[in-house]
Amino acid sequence: MAILLGLILAAVGFVIGTGATGLIRMSLGLPYWDTEMSWSLGYPIALLGWLAGVGGWKYWATEWFGGRPAISPTGVSRYFEFNNDHKVIGIQYGVTFVVLFLLSGLAAMLIRWELMQPGMQLFTENQYNSVMSFHGIGMIAVAVAILMGAFGNYVVPLMIGARDMAFPRVNALSYWLVPPVAVMLIIALALGGWDSGWTAYPPLSVLNNSGQVLFNLAVITFGVVSIISGINFIATIVYERAPGMTWGRLPIFVWGCLAGSMIAFFFTQGFAAALLMVLFDRVLGTSFFGATGGGSALLYQHAFWFYSHPAVYVMVLPAFGIILEVLSHMSRKPLYAYKYAVGAMLGIVALSGVVWAHHMFTSGMADYLHAPFLVLTEMISIPTGLIFLSAVGTIWAGRLWMRTPMLFALGFLFNFTIGGLTGIYLADVPTDLHLHDTYFVVAHFHYTIMGGEIFALFAALYYWFPKITGREFNETLGKVHFTLMFIGFQLIFIPMFQVGVQGMNRRVADYPEAYADTNYQLSLSGFLLGSSFLFFVVNMVVSWVRGRRAADNPWGAHTLEWQVSSPPPPHNFDEIPTIEEGAYEYGVPGARPHARLTGAADRA
Amino acid sequence: MNPFPTVGAQEATLFDHAFRLMTYMGAPVFGFMMAALIYSVLHFRAKNTNAGAPTEDGPPIHGHGAIPKIWVGVTTALCLVVMIYPGLTGLAEIRADRSHDVEVKVTGSRWVWALEYPQGGFQADELVLPVGKRVKFDLTAPAGDVLHSFWVPAFRQKLTTLPGQMTYMYITPTQTGDGHSDAAFRVQCSELCGLLHSRMQLNVRVVEQAEYDKWVAEKVKK
Repeated sequence: MAILLGLILAAVGFVIGTGATGLIRMSLGLPYWDTEMSWSLGYPIALLGWLAGVGGWKYWATEWFGGRPAISPTGVSRYFEFNNDHKVIGIQYGVTFVVLFLLSGLAAMLIRWELMQPGMQLFTENQYNSVMSFHGIGMIAVAVAILMGAFGNYVVPLMIGARDMAFPRVNALSYWLVPPVAVMLIIALALGGWDSGWTAYPPLSVLNNSGQVLFNLAVITFGVVSIISGINFIATIVYERAPGMTWGRLPIFVWGCLAGSMIAFFFTQGFAAALLMVLFDRVLGTSFFGATGGGSALLYQHAFWFYSHPAVYVMVLPAFGIILEVLSHMSRKPLYAYKYAVGAMLGIVALSGVVWAHHMFTSGMADYLHAPFLVLTEMISIPTGLIFLSAVGTIWAGRLWMRTPMLFALGFLFNFTIGGLTGIYLADVPTDLHLHDTYFVVAHFHYTIMGGEIFALFAALYYWFPKITGREFNETLGKVHFTLMFIGFQLIFIPMFQVGVQGMNRRVADYPEAYADTNYQLSLSGFLLGSSFLFFVVNMVVSWVRGRRAADNPWGAHTLEWQVSSPPPPHNFDEIPTIEEGAYEYGVPGARPHARLTGAADRA
Repeated sequence: MNPFPTVGAQEATLFDHAFRLMTYMGAPVFGFMMAALIYSVLHFRAKNTNAGAPTEDGPPIHGHGAIPKIWVGVTTALCLVVMIYPGLTGLAEIRADRSHDVEVKVTGSRWVWALEYPQGGFQADELVLPVGKRVKFDLTAPAGDVLHSFWVPAFRQKLTTLPGQMTYMYITPTQTGDGHSDAAFRVQCSELCGLLHSRMQLNVRVVEQAEYDKWVAEKVKK
C-alpha cells in the first residue's frame, strides 16, 4: 500500500516538477517539454513525493508540523514501507540488492551470449553498449551497498551491543532512496540507454542519448545514500558501543564497516560533483568538460577516480571484515594479529585517497604524475598483505569446520590472492600501458570484486542466514552452489587475463576473429557460473519458508549477535550487555565470556 | 606456450620482460599462499563434524610475536623491488628517447582514424611504418569529439587522444607484420567512445625500408 502511495505521489511530484519547468520554459518562448531538463527538475520533486508516500511523512515528517508519528506494524507489511528498525532495513537492503545482483548478472549472461561468436547476434551495437553499461553500474551499486547495507545494518548494532543505529530514520531514508535508483536506471534503458559505461567519461557522456541524464540523476541519488549511511555507521560505531566494548575488543567486521564508511563519507562527493557537472554541461550549457568551450575532459577523470578508486575499498574493507570473522569462528581460533589487521584497514583508508591516478596512466595526463602514483599504488600491497597474514595465521593449526560459509571464505582467499597479484601489473606503468582497458583489467577487477567481495557476500549470507531468518539453510545446496560458482569463476576469468594480454580490449560489442575460440569458451564458462546462482536462489527461498528452526548460536561463535535469539528480539537486548573480553578468545585458558547479558542470557 | 602477441616494437620487448619478471616474483607469493591454504584445509580440517560444531578449540595463538613484523618487512621489501624494478626504471626507459625519424599525425574521431604523414604531406588509410626507425605519433581528436585511445597490441603502448589537445607517443618497430594476417597489428580504439567503438580499427603494416620508401613515393605522387 505504502509503495503504491509512494508511486502515486512520485507521479504527482513529477507532473509538478516538469510542469513548473514547462511553464518557465514557455514564458521564455521555448517549447514546453525538453526531455533532459524536464527530467532533471521533475525527478527531485518526484523523489520527495515517493519518500513521503512510502512512509516518510507518516513516520517522520508529520512531526515537523506538530503531528504524531505513526507506530510501525509488526507483520510482513513493515518490510514494504518506511521502518526504523535496523534489522528490517538490513533485510530490505539485502533482498533488494540480491535482486539487483541477479538482474545485473542476467545482463552479464546476455553479454556473454552476444560475445560467444564474432559479429552481432543478439544485440545492435547500441543495445550492447547499454546492456554492458547497465551491468557495470548495477554491479557497482550492489558491490558498494550490499555488505554494509544488508549485514552492516543488521549485524553491527547487535555486535556492538546497541539497540539500533545512531540515526534510525536516516537509516530508513537511505534505504528508500535506493528503489528510485534502480527504477531510473531501467527507465534510462527505455529512453535509448546510455553507452558510456558506469564511468560516464565526458565528452561522450555529454553528447550521447538522453538515458545518460537519468543515469546521472540515479547515481547522484545513490551517492546521497552512500554518504548518509556512511555518517550513520561512523556515529553508531563511535557512540553506540556497549560498556566495555573498547576499540581493542571491537569485532573485525565492525572495523571493516567503520573503515568503509569513512571512505564513503570522505570521497563520494567527488563522484557526485563530477556527475553534476556533466549534468550542467548537458542541461544548462556549461562547459566544464568540452574542449570547444575551454573545458577539460581530464578534469572529470580526476574527480571521478578520486572517489571511484576509494570506492573499491568501500566494497572490499567490509569484505575483509566478514572473511576474518568467519575464518576465526569457523576455525575455533583467536583472530591472528588482530591489531595488525585493524591497522591495515586504517592504512588502506589513508592510502586509498592518494592513488586515484593509476587509472589514468594512458589518459594523457602530465608525465610527472606517473611515478608518484605508481609508488603510492604499489604501497597498498603492504596493508593488504597484512590482511592475508591475519587470515592465514587464523586458519593455521585451527579446527576448520568446512561448512558453506567457510568454503566461501577460503574461496575468497584463493581469488583475492590472484586479484591482488595481478593488480601489480596494472599499478606498474610500463605494463599498464599495454594492459589498460583490455580484458586483463576485466579479469583483474572481477577477481577482486566478484571473487573477493561477492564471495565474502555469500560467506556472510550463509553465515548469518540462521540468525536473520531463524531457519537453517540446506547445506548440500550450499556446497553445490559454492562448487559450481568457484569452478565456473576460475574457468571464465583465468582465460580473460590471457585474451587481454593477447590484445582484446574491453567494452567491445565485437572483436577480431583471432579471439573467437577463447570467447566461445569464456561464454560457456560464464553460463556455468550463472547456473550456480539457481541453486542459491532455490536454497534461500525454500530454506527461508520451510527450513528447520535454527538454534540461537548454531556456529558456537563468541560475538554478541549469536548470544540473542534467532531472529533477535525487536529491541535486541533486554538490557544493554557488558563486554568483558575480546571477541575471538577461542581456546584461551582462563578467558571470560565475550559479553555478560542479563535477561536474554538466561536462555543460554 | 607464448602468452604474448607478436613482438612488433622495442617497447614490446620491454613490456614482455617486465611482465615476465613480475610473474616470476609473484609466483612464489602465490605458491606460498596456496601451500598454506591447501595444507590448512587438508591438515587442520576438524574431524567428525557431521554431528555439529567442532568439539574443541584450536591453540590460542594471537600473533603478538615477531612473525607479523617479519611479514611486514618482507612484503615491504618485495613491494619496493617491484616499484623500482621494473616499475620506475621501466618508466624511465620508455620515456628516455624522445627523438624520431618518422612522424605520423593521428586523429581519432567517432569512429574512424585519420592518418597524416606531415613529412611527406600526405594522408593514408592504413598505418604503414618502416622497420627499425623511431616513430613519433602526434595524437589528437577534433575539439567537439570524444575521447579515443590509440593502441597497437604489437607495440604494447596506448595513449588517449584528447579533443582539442595533442599527446605524443614514441615507438620503434622491430619486426615486419601485417594486420591482415595478425590481429596484433591493428590500431584499436581502446577508450569507450560510443556506438561503433569496437569497430574503430585500422590496419597496420610494418615493412622494410625499401618498401616503405616505395609506398611513400606513390603516396606523394598522388
